[in-house]
Amino acid sequence: MRRFVQTQGPIGEFSALPLLQRAETRDLLYVGYGLLIVALVIASYLMGAFGWLPHDPRQMDVGLINAPALTAGHLLGTDFLGRDLQSRLILGIQAYFLPGLLAIAISVAGGCVLGVLAGYRGGWLAAVVTYIDNLLDSFPRLVLILLVIAAFKADIYAIMIVVGITGMPETANLVSGKIAFLKQKNFIEAAHALGLPAHTVILKHILWLNCRTLLVIQATLGMAEAIIVETSLSYLGFGVQEPTPSWGNMVQAGANYFLQGNFWPSTAPALAILATILGFQLLGDGLNNMLEGKRRRG
Amino acid sequence: MKLSAILPVARVLRRELAVTALLLLGVSVVVFTVLQLAPGDPLNVLLEGQSPRSQQAVREALGVSHTWYGRYGAWLAKVVQGDFGSSIRTGLPVLPELARVGVNTLYLTLGSLLLTLLIAVPIAVHAAVNGDTPGNTVATVAAYIVSAVPVFWFGYIVVYVFIHYFEMFPLLSGAAAKQEHAWLYFLVPIFVLGTASGTLSELIRHLRDELSRVLAEDYIRTARAKGAPVWRHAFKEGFLIPVTELMSAKIPFLLGGAVIVEQVFNWPGMGRMAWQAAQDRDFPVIMGIALVAAAFVRSGNLLQRVVFTMVNPRASKG
Repeated sequence: MRRFVQTQGPIGEFSALPLLQRAETRDLLYVGYGLLIVALVIASYLMGAFGWLPHDPRQMDVGLINAPALTAGHLLGTDFLGRDLQSRLILGIQAYFLPGLLAIAISVAGGCVLGVLAGYRGGWLAAVVTYIDNLLDSFPRLVLILLVIAAFKADIYAIMIVVGITGMPETANLVSGKIAFLKQKNFIEAAHALGLPAHTVILKHILWLNCRTLLVIQATLGMAEAIIVETSLSYLGFGVQEPTPSWGNMVQAGANYFLQGNFWPSTAPALAILATILGFQLLGDGLNNMLEGKRRRG
Repeated sequence: MKLSAILPVARVLRRELAVTALLLLGVSVVVFTVLQLAPGDPLNVLLEGQSPRSQQAVREALGVSHTWYGRYGAWLAKVVQGDFGSSIRTGLPVLPELARVGVNTLYLTLGSLLLTLLIAVPIAVHAAVNGDTPGNTVATVAAYIVSAVPVFWFGYIVVYVFIHYFEMFPLLSGAAAKQEHAWLYFLVPIFVLGTASGTLSELIRHLRDELSRVLAEDYIRTARAKGAPVWRHAFKEGFLIPVTELMSAKIPFLLGGAVIVEQVFNWPGMGRMAWQAAQDRDFPVIMGIALVAAAFVRSGNLLQRVVFTMVNPRASKG
């Protein structure tokens, strides 16, 4: 049996070519780079979690301050207190990895619920979901997070709940858009005509069979968002505090030495942020171009 | 202007104003809820150690309502009159302070929007007209990379370049304003926010996709075939709508980015004030900033809807 995969455009044209032959080279490169970054992040997270680090990240070495990369014993050099940058970068992933997963889980689960309510039920519920969408879009996210920090002295997990909630509308829009597409194709009507109960249609036919790639893509892009928020906040001095490393507070602490010409201690974490965010974004967009057909982002 | 052109705009304006009012009401409910759920009611701090009865007496004497909707009503009535309370840290009333620093944030965000347009539009138009050339692929990848650069780090780079190559010190905000070339100091944060906030690459992508879609439409082919100016026909749908759409959608991101950029550059704006307020748990200030920012976002959205209707009067129906 041939498998058909939807590509290009909202109405969907079908192609029987295998995925790897059909995809553009550029998208394959995007996805390849993204997967590499994801693998690195997960491996580094595990290394940090189990304490398999090349050096003790808190061990200061006054004799070896601001060492450049490739110094003997320190692959990525040391910072302004002589601490090993590589170990600190690896440990910095702890600051966003699990909180980021929480944000993703909330935005994907909540987005599915809202999307199904708006798309499957429709009517006044759709209007309510649109209202919630616009309401959440009215706040600059960082301002909303600062409000929550001021009110609750929120830690990073509480902040990521806010990030997850503000990420729900986008997923909801995509899910309800997908349902509208399926309705147009009479798939849902056909499932009902076969006598399937509503929960089977929603959970299996809509969410599992038709929305899972979309949700994976949203989760990937959501991780990029979570990293941006976490690094920005720890740069601003909220969230993880020194001496526990986070990429944001490493940039901030290193910046004091930046103007003296010691770029590396703040540039190394900045490059880590850059490469990681880029990886998740390219993975999301590449997968999207390959599996879902190009869609507008904005 | 003909009446037939004004009517749909008026109709949409009425509808959108109602929607905006409803949304701002929702915004106030969200802010009030966060405030209510926050631990550490100022009265609790004030009355610590007093008996429950005397606490109750003080609350009644101050006219604090028992019910949440009573408190919400009283709070909303004050907010609508422009009374956002006073800062806990400085004791100054919030709204005049916000107006003072808000102007600086307005310069920053509007300036960076303008800069983003100046950079993005030529690139996007060039890409849409010429299709997939190697140069465009490079531009796309470059746009991805630029949008992933952490704003705060990029700010330091720009400061460093300015100090070393132009021998200027934009870090000292108060003093710099009196120096010659002071205007350059204002341009640096605008440049950083305009290039590194992610708006740039999204605008390029969005405008390029929309414009190339419109340029492939039948009516453009017809215009081209009869020798009419293509640009005039494609302008509204292919340029004006996508640009205004994305600009209004990006206002919240710019305001969020302003928090960081103002921190990097010591820019005396709303973002720095929000940061300070979050540090001090200064409720009235952060609450006022959230309300003002939301109002700013919604007015941008309103403006976009009006432009959309002027271009496409059919949108007023339905």
